[in-house]
Amino acid sequence: MKLITLVAKIDIEKCTGCRTCEKVCPTIAIKIVNKKAVVDETLCRGCGNCNQRCPADAVSMEKLAEPYRVGVSIDDLPYNKIDELCQRASLNPEQIICYCTMTRAEEVAAAILKGAKSPEEISQQTGVRTGCKVECIQPVLRLLDAYGIKPVPPEGGYQWYGITPTIWDIPSEVKDKYNARGFYFEEDIRLLNEVKDTRKEAKR
Amino acid sequence: MSKKTITPQKPRISQYGVDPKYITKRVSEFPDMTSVMLKELFPDTPQVIYPSEKGIAEVRETAEKALKKIDMSMIKSTDSVNVCASHHGFTLLGGEPYAQLLRTIRDVIAQRTGTQDIRLRAGVGLRFRETEEYIKAFKLDEHYQGKAKGMAPVDQGIPIKTEIGTLYGLKAVYDADWVVHAHNSDVREVHFHRQVDRAVKPFGMSYARIETRSTYHQNLGPRGANFTARAIFDSEFVQNKFAFAAFLDMSPVGVVGVDVDNDLYALNDRLTAGGCRYYGKIMTLLGEIDECIAALDFPCPVPYVFAAGVIYANFAGANVDLFDLDVPLPPYTWYTEAFYGKDGKPLIDKVPPVNPAIKMALHNYAWGGYPSAFFSEHIPTLVVGGEQAEVMNRDPQNIEYMSYAVTADNLDTAMRFAYNSAKTDKVIIFDGAAGGINVSEPLARLLLEKAPQVNKRVDEVLLPKWLRQRGIDTQIIKAAVL
Repeated sequence: MKLITLVAKIDIEKCTGCRTCEKVCPTIAIKIVNKKAVVDETLCRGCGNCNQRCPADAVSMEKLAEPYRVGVSIDDLPYNKIDELCQRASLNPEQIICYCTMTRAEEVAAAILKGAKSPEEISQQTGVRTGCKVECIQPVLRLLDAYGIKPVPPEGGYQWYGITPTIWDIPSEVKDKYNARGFYFEEDIRLLNEVKDTRKEAKR
Repeated sequence: MSKKTITPQKPRISQYGVDPKYITKRVSEFPDMTSVMLKELFPDTPQVIYPSEKGIAEVRETAEKALKKIDMSMIKSTDSVNVCASHHGFTLLGGEPYAQLLRTIRDVIAQRTGTQDIRLRAGVGLRFRETEEYIKAFKLDEHYQGKAKGMAPVDQGIPIKTEIGTLYGLKAVYDADWVVHAHNSDVREVHFHRQVDRAVKPFGMSYARIETRSTYHQNLGPRGANFTARAIFDSEFVQNKFAFAAFLDMSPVGVVGVDVDNDLYALNDRLTAGGCRYYGKIMTLLGEIDECIAALDFPCPVPYVFAAGVIYANFAGANVDLFDLDVPLPPYTWYTEAFYGKDGKPLIDKVPPVNPAIKMALHNYAWGGYPSAFFSEHIPTLVVGGEQAEVMNRDPQNIEYMSYAVTADNLDTAMRFAYNSAKTDKVIIFDGAAGGINVSEPLARLLLEKAPQVNKRVDEVLLPKWLRQRGIDTQIIKAAVL
């Protein structure tokens, strides 16, 4: 869940229609129409990527008169379905996967179970990937992958390129080669497995 | 009579922080504040070349001398070279030493190889225009003849095949024949890299795309994270472009020298050892503080404000030994933050508490541009001035920071409130003071009292263990001392 407080505004005089904003928008809220950027304010989640990358300094972030929240409820789904999907992605459902919005794995799993099929749709619905815009793409891709969805990156965009390896994927010969350099792969696998498998209800 | 405080780093004009006109008073200006020099705490504190009487010229001279030992024969006069830099260097001692290193590298490459196609590519953390601000402030675009630019992790990327699979770098880093890695040895985020492959880190971070950085912080675990950097650096693609590395060699007291090498791992071993030794001592000492008010007063995001080379994020974890790799989770790192459940309590027992010695954080001057709500959620935080609170409220990375923090009208009332509610007279100021640390007098006494036993414990017990855990021969320290 994210509180949306800002919206992107385009200075048409400055906009050169270069498409940079379109290529970096995580919610596909910007399109170039007649060589000028146009923001769909219903999709903008106020992340500021466009503002931060525009080479013409044509985008400002304006405060919304009425901030609003986006989020996906987990209450209308059987929790065991959410839990199973998170498990398959090697995540604890309560684990935070977006440090800016405090979005937990369970909310993204719920979005997928309710039909979201891409990181863009997940970001529109939950606000994940609209804070720092950097750190949470992989758990989102892991959850989609665990549900059997192979999303395709937006054509020509820089939003994201692909899923990457996890610690569970590292070949044993690589681990053997570098263990002595302080990487502690096996110990970290044990730790992450413990996180993945722990349920607070069971602990209580 | 108590010692004067050290002049703190000046506020900086930046889109990520409040306008400097609102910083009307610094915490070090209170009459009950004093300072302790690092030399007083640890006798083996190294000599520095900056700050020094000779000024910034000493950095240039040292860099020119060091670069003489670098083999540049692979760079032809018609080749292009990307000198890759990161934002972090510009936060050290006002930024001029790092800017001078970057200028010197360009000039020496041009002189030695004859090429004029030398570009500056400056990466960032989570403030995508931060290095653009530094490039402008230090006139680096002029020095690089119009070929300097900032890069962000959402810019166009390229896939890089590694031993563990495909990771992604920034295209702008690798769009030249050769890559020069220009960085610094300040340990900074020990909670993330755990001083494992510190010198390699930018290949998995400021030179990398979001996919790689997310791999680091979400996929590989709290001690394996920095392997992303090694995996990328070791790839055939990067090895074919890597020319050499040049580092500002830092200590908590200032710039010790300039270290360069064609072999990044040889340089990495030297800097890892030096970092463990010098930063390890001050971090261990700060872990001895029993109670305090932490004053944030530096032009950087909340976790990165400095005191004696130690960032606030690491002080928040100073109740455990962050260099000890047998400790799986620091009290603050993103893996730790991720492992707090909906009830606000850790999911597993291995999550250590945030440093209980910090009774209150007084946010007099610190930027947004980094997710920092964890700090205000776990540490009572008092923000000085509504303007500063508004900076956080407008920041998409800090929507919830002020949900936990409270504001005071000015520093005087904030300080009074902090003393009354925290019920301690020990104050540590994260204001980037060079050569030492600004603190209240009772805390100065405590640090001076505890330093000798910390010095001995690090030298005799902790440092050998830290190096052993990283596969580094302890002889490297003896060689450095000789």
